[in-house]
Amino acid sequence: MSNNFFDVNNVDFSIGNKIKVKNVSFSIKNRGETICLLGPSGIGKTTILRSIAGLEKINKGEIKLNGKLLSSEKKNVEPENRNISLSFQENSLFPHYNVKKNILLGAEKNKDNNTKYINYDELISLLNISQILNKYPHEISAGEAQRVSLARSLITQPDLLLLDEPLSNVDQSFKEEIQRNLKKILKDLKITTIIVTHDSHEAFYLGSKCGIILNQELKQFDDPYNVYHLPNSIEVVNFLNRGILIPAQVTSPKSLENEDLGTITGNFIKPFPIGSKVKLLIQPEDLHHDDTSNLKMEVVDRKFRGTNFIYTLKAPSNALIPVFVHSHHIHQHEIDEKFGIKRPIHIDHIVCF
Amino acid sequence: MKFNSWYLSSLLISFFVLIPIITVFTSFFESTSNYFEILKNTFLIEYILNSLLLLFSVLILTFFLGTGSAYLVSFYKFPGCNFFKWGLILSFAVPPYIYAYSLTAFFENYGTAFTILKNLFGDANYNKFIPKFDGMFGAIISISFSLYAYVYILARSSFLYQSQNLIDLGKNLSFSKFQSLHKIILPAARPAIIAGLSLVAMETLAEFGAVDFFSINTLTTGIYNSWITFDDLAFANRISFFLLLFIFSLFILENLSRKRAKYHFNTKGGFKQKEKIKLEGNKAFFASLFCFLIFFVGFLFPLSQMLYWTIKFPENLLDLEITDLVLNTVYLVMLSSVVLLIFSLISNYGNRVSNNKILNLLSTLSISGYAIPGVILAIAFITFIAWFDESIVKLLGFSSIKKIFIGSILGLVLVYFIRFYSLAFNGIKSGYEKMNISVDESAYLLGYSKRKTFINIHVPFLRNSLLFVIILISLEIIRELPITLILRPFNFETFATTAYISASEDLLEAAAVPSLFLILIASLFIIITSKYILKEK
Repeated sequence: MSNNFFDVNNVDFSIGNKIKVKNVSFSIKNRGETICLLGPSGIGKTTILRSIAGLEKINKGEIKLNGKLLSSEKKNVEPENRNISLSFQENSLFPHYNVKKNILLGAEKNKDNNTKYINYDELISLLNISQILNKYPHEISAGEAQRVSLARSLITQPDLLLLDEPLSNVDQSFKEEIQRNLKKILKDLKITTIIVTHDSHEAFYLGSKCGIILNQELKQFDDPYNVYHLPNSIEVVNFLNRGILIPAQVTSPKSLENEDLGTITGNFIKPFPIGSKVKLLIQPEDLHHDDTSNLKMEVVDRKFRGTNFIYTLKAPSNALIPVFVHSHHIHQHEIDEKFGIKRPIHIDHIVCF
Repeated sequence: MKFNSWYLSSLLISFFVLIPIITVFTSFFESTSNYFEILKNTFLIEYILNSLLLLFSVLILTFFLGTGSAYLVSFYKFPGCNFFKWGLILSFAVPPYIYAYSLTAFFENYGTAFTILKNLFGDANYNKFIPKFDGMFGAIISISFSLYAYVYILARSSFLYQSQNLIDLGKNLSFSKFQSLHKIILPAARPAIIAGLSLVAMETLAEFGAVDFFSINTLTTGIYNSWITFDDLAFANRISFFLLLFIFSLFILENLSRKRAKYHFNTKGGFKQKEKIKLEGNKAFFASLFCFLIFFVGFLFPLSQMLYWTIKFPENLLDLEITDLVLNTVYLVMLSSVVLLIFSLISNYGNRVSNNKILNLLSTLSISGYAIPGVILAIAFITFIAWFDESIVKLLGFSSIKKIFIGSILGLVLVYFIRFYSLAFNGIKSGYEKMNISVDESAYLLGYSKRKTFINIHVPFLRNSLLFVIILISLEIIRELPITLILRPFNFETFATTAYISASEDLLEAAAVPSLFLILIASLFIIITSKYILKEK
């Protein structure tokens, strides 16, 4: 028997008869952990949350919380009896109550419990909604409505909190502050949380584990570092969209050869027989700039990202290779200029498929 | 469980509403007395031709009145435009039959017009100079001025949703105001205008009081007379069959137009509030005059005429048992409202929580009752009860149930239910549509059961919609004539039936008092609900 706080075992998540995500298994080991589910729009992330909340039934597998079976082919605990809170992406506030009443309706649920209360004043201050408490849902912006919905969900102090794109409508200027506050609240109150998002930065910041959902499957469920640096499939690489796959041949247990970059050394994540032809993942951070190098390629694009530039270089084989350079670097290269790549090339974790 | 409770209630309601339609269709193939043969060769064609002439004339006039006034108040500022915005819907308070009484009273020989001329210019034979609004012409005027508000309301709401961007586009293409109206504004509002005209058409075909008063043989009066004069229910149902064919075509047209009207504007591209153009000089004068004339002819004229007669013949006021009429009306309104609200809430809630296509279809069938003329509903109901009594109740050895349903409050309320169910259902539905389904789900997740969600979240939210529905039902029941006339218990009168009976006995002066009360009460309800009827968001 599993000792995990929350378990999803071999579940097919569906809406009506249409299966959205197949055969999903993942777990949350300890109470108070936060995990994130990442995937493109319409892939079925919301369906997963709705099924966990009990708003959709499942026809295969089982969902357990704190050792108690919530959903299976035969059993479905009603949403109101699960003590799971879901903050919807769209406005789900009660339209005839003002913001304050909307939030306090969540608190009413727990008035007979002896659980430690989250401080209401602190919560509205952390979510920056103190100035709209007397307004009605139709009088506030989409971003404010999302924060109110978040407050209502948090104040119930559920066993499991589900957040569906919680900050998708929040202004960029507020977003980081609210992400920071949210992380603090969840940690302080030890609220176990599943967040669904399409923003990888948000997922990597908030989640101790990240699940990548693609093509009706949970492709990878791992900690953020591994998801980013050690993707387990070509689909995950393409989804995170931070690197390219170039052809290479394994020449030793610690090296491979590419026609544009020459010899590359490092540690293989997964061993391949010598001589095998593979696809090597090159991420922007893997290569370094060096004007003195004799390995030069033409700059075809340059993206300014604030703290850094991502140069796109055109290799002789026509492959487009991304290279990361700090924006405070001593000089910049213009498009069509030659750009030197430091040799020898060494990559700590070699990811091949 | 879900299947049983929600399906059962929706099935029951749908079946109940469908009884008159099924009765009419099955009766069509039954034999009838020789009277049918006589009518088939003589009057049936006349019934149909008269109905069509009335229909097309009313459509042309209501289009002109409704669209013209809606265009002026939606796009221009002129003296009185804020008053006319809601003043123009007051004509709803005057049912066509009361309008017909006013028209006759004013223009008849030695009528009010004669008295005015006599007082102004002394004794003379003015009768030959006073135009006569009777027969078909009188019916067309009466019905048009009573019903144009349907076109006005829908056209106006469509004009309001037209973005300033659309108007600016016309200017950018160097269109004149007339070209903009002709090429942009009217085509964009076409589905809404057609929906309004379809409602007018259905009401015109269903109209009984005014056409009966002017002695015009239409399908509706044919149904009534077959039953009343010749006691031939089967023939009444045969004429109903023809009328229903017309009505259903219009019902489908109206539904399609309304759906198109809903999606006719692409608001995703950005809606820009319209800037009304201020009219000056002659243009402002003629715009005000146009709206005032419609308001005057449609509302002030019948109101004044009824008021004048009430003052002129005060003995009629004393003869009328006003307390009884008020109590009867309140009794009918309360009973019908309670029944309609309970079943409409059940159906709407059932649809919402089960989100099932078959249930939705059943609900759509259930609301078709509003399209069926009151005369048909009443006659078909009597036919059905008679058949049920003969074929089933007596066969089982029970005593007759006719008295329970025919000529009783129960029968009356049941047929009101069929007729006005769509009002209650749609009124509550439009309230529910403003509440996202995730609101319910949030409540469940906050620990509310379905029952608690309904009581603590839905009912407080729907409070205004429920009130609005009650007022609309009251307004309809107060104005309703044929169902009440046919199915009411002996000696049970409403303002509408009292006015009708007096008028049909050629006692128009006596019809004025109940008519005046009816107009005043209906106006009050319209003013209360005008905020909802004319809502701009």
